[in-house]
Amino acid sequence: MTDADEYSVEIAAVKEAVPDVDDERVAEEFRRYRDEFLIPPRDALRSVVKKFQAEAGLEQTGGSASLPSRRASKKAELFKELSSDDSNVTIEVEVVTYTPRIQMVRGEERQIAFGWIEDNPWVEGGERVRWDFKDWGGHAESLVPGSVVRLEGVSVNEWQGKFSINVNQSSRIAILREGGRTVNIAPNEAVDIGRALEMDGFVTITGRVIASRAQSVQRKDGSGTIDMIKGRLADNTGTIGFVSWGEFDHPIGTLLRIEGAAIRRFRDTPELNIGEQTKVEVYHDKGFASLQDLESSSVVNIADLRDGARDVSAVVQIVSWDSRTFTTQDGEEKTVWGGEVIDPSGRCRMTAWDEVEIDISDKPVAVRLENFRVRAWQGSPDITIDNAEQITVLDEIPWEAIDAESHTVEVPFTELIKGNSRRGVTTSANIVSVQVGSGLIKRCTESPCRRVLFDGSCSEHGPQTGENDLRLRMVMDDGICNASLIVGRDPTEAFLSTSLAEVEKQWDAGGGEDFLLALRSKLLGQKVRVRGRTVIDEQGAMMMADSIDVLEIDTDAAVEELRQRWEVFA
Amino acid sequence: MTERIRHSRQSAIRLFAREYYESSLPDGGEGEFDPVFIITKLGAKVNRMLVAGVIEGLERRDTERGPMYQGSVRDPTGRHMWSVGSFQPELHSEMEELLARFESGDRFLMTCVGKSNHYQTEDGGFFVRMRLEDHAIIDRAAYAAWLIDAADHTMRRIDAWSKAKECADASPDSLREAGVPEDLHDGLLLALGHYPDWDPESYKVGVLQALSAAEGRFVSFDEDEADSTPEVAAAPQAEASGDSEEGAADIPETVLSLIKEKAGEDGLDYNSIVQGCAQRGINDEAAIENAIDKLRDVDCEIIEARFGWFKPLSN
Repeated sequence: MTDADEYSVEIAAVKEAVPDVDDERVAEEFRRYRDEFLIPPRDALRSVVKKFQAEAGLEQTGGSASLPSRRASKKAELFKELSSDDSNVTIEVEVVTYTPRIQMVRGEERQIAFGWIEDNPWVEGGERVRWDFKDWGGHAESLVPGSVVRLEGVSVNEWQGKFSINVNQSSRIAILREGGRTVNIAPNEAVDIGRALEMDGFVTITGRVIASRAQSVQRKDGSGTIDMIKGRLADNTGTIGFVSWGEFDHPIGTLLRIEGAAIRRFRDTPELNIGEQTKVEVYHDKGFASLQDLESSSVVNIADLRDGARDVSAVVQIVSWDSRTFTTQDGEEKTVWGGEVIDPSGRCRMTAWDEVEIDISDKPVAVRLENFRVRAWQGSPDITIDNAEQITVLDEIPWEAIDAESHTVEVPFTELIKGNSRRGVTTSANIVSVQVGSGLIKRCTESPCRRVLFDGSCSEHGPQTGENDLRLRMVMDDGICNASLIVGRDPTEAFLSTSLAEVEKQWDAGGGEDFLLALRSKLLGQKVRVRGRTVIDEQGAMMMADSIDVLEIDTDAAVEELRQRWEVFA
Repeated sequence: MTERIRHSRQSAIRLFAREYYESSLPDGGEGEFDPVFIITKLGAKVNRMLVAGVIEGLERRDTERGPMYQGSVRDPTGRHMWSVGSFQPELHSEMEELLARFESGDRFLMTCVGKSNHYQTEDGGFFVRMRLEDHAIIDRAAYAAWLIDAADHTMRRIDAWSKAKECADASPDSLREAGVPEDLHDGLLLALGHYPDWDPESYKVGVLQALSAAEGRFVSFDEDEADSTPEVAAAPQAEASGDSEEGAADIPETVLSLIKEKAGEDGLDYNSIVQGCAQRGINDEAAIENAIDKLRDVDCEIIEARFGWFKPLSN
């Protein structure tokens, strides 16, 4: 009996999905599944169908293919070799022009670009054919006019007899010869603000002024003041602060093209410097996002606050508000106001250096904050208000009431650890280490020292009996990132259903090691859900828990979710 | 203080035994404090790893420097070999306890955290192992959770590997453009340069096996029985004995309740199980044997304390 006979039922099923497939090859595939992978044909059917579907370039249900489809690529030297249905073409061309443009694509504004390319780029003075192209994938950096590039995975478009090339998001571009013809000291191709935020050096952008005010700073040598304008520009992709050292009389709402401005960084935040060499001109584009739209998008969430940011606006709910008075080095009495604020994305501190009385005793209060700056405090971003006028108390809270006590935002572990320090977050990962130093510890009794004693001695205040405390030290890990996890006394007592007094008893009976063993067998490898805050700096990542629980996993649901996500069925 | 690059802690890679033991590429370790990695075919950079499975072997070896321990756990794709060195005395008392349990015939599920290591034989053979850092005995639910986790990470790597294969040039830029996650760039570039062309389909099969095991579904991978899934195997018998299909699906449950009910000190012997099943209207010995295999190897509900004697897994 041949393979084809043996698998006739399965082969028929495959042919239903992929009519033109060769029987022998399908049979071979089933044999391979049976002999190499030890999977019976019945169970292998789905995988085999998908494989041949992919090969035939047929639509696969569900989109992203786990079995990659590879349509044969066509290599061409000249445009004339191409026909209108070629969709995976490799060709070497010279870029003649490249013009970025915002275009509506399926109701969304997208940055695209068009221009001219010429084939036969290597023969100087040879005959060349010029085609239009459209760049859908934002390849501005590679498609510099004057450069010779190899386009890979581009497609041919024909409309009313005219041919053009589509450079897609998945297309690759290899630069074979840098474009040396256009000499630009400052780049004159405008980039999106979102992109500019990640660049250094000089840029050209088009953006609308959404904040602007005059400021002056004292010269360090006391010889007078320097005037400047500080403000903020926005487009659809983001906002960027700017500072102008010369004249700048563009009111809020003006659309500007700013050519050759330097990007300087203050802490984590880039700022556009408009100097003498920078060209600023009013720009006209009816399609550009309106001031109103941009203003609402410049209102940021707490989760997006970055240390060093300025001119940020936000709406937050105040959770606690208090003032304290202190004496400055000059002997001056000063009052600083501060508290905790939340929004649906998270929680952070807020500090005001001006008198800001807010009464939150009867009902929750939300405020709109304008043009504030962000400083880091204990690793977490802190909203800093310099002037009471920056705060507007709102009539009502713009979101469903958040319970301030339990408010927390669920953040995937890797995202949390790769991001900024945050408060009021919940995340999950596995415990991969339970560390010595978990359990009963002694702390220095000096306030506010509270250091953990090492060998009965504080590194600052010397030997002492110390004060008992309870905490857990572990490592959380999701297979991609990891973080130290510190669980303080209250959450430890809640999690282990124990008390400091009970643990003290256990320790006195010599049970310190048993405590660790029990903790390890309870937690090692287990997935836990932790609520608390993170401190992320050069030293690594640390999570301080307000609560911790072992996650119960619904196996069937988790398996089903995974099968759907990766399209693995058998 | 001398300048020293601070190495942050390495995350524990989730991977099945097969992906690990098929690796043959070490990387790193040039400087004294540089971590050493094993690069798998799918581009995982393994320094620390988190694995799980049923214990399959454990023995003590006495060396000049003191005792060391070698053990292994089995997952659906193969065995993870691990060791505890003579230089890890803090783990020795736990190993002795584990060894006593293992030698008494007890079998259990374990989770293991460890560091990758490797050695090369004189004839050029390359072997990978794992130096145990920490371990715990876990229950079936925790094992199922690990299987799902490892399956997820394996699929993520297969997906990234496929995307990387499509890239024209092997550079971080093109990987980024292809949507390959940052943490896999290094490993994938090394893997693509080292391993000859191969098909990751077999790793996908491992994922399928693991998912079936997590669901408690018995997928047969017997070489000579292409159609021995319980549905297929049990159905003809159900017709023959006039049982409903639900009745056939209950065989593992019946076997398990029998063992739980009747197992003595040594467990319950095979013949008694077959007899007990017959009394409950189940006569298909092949299906009973399948059920026993499933309970032992997939569900990990029972153990074969000695050949032909079964008892519930203590936990």
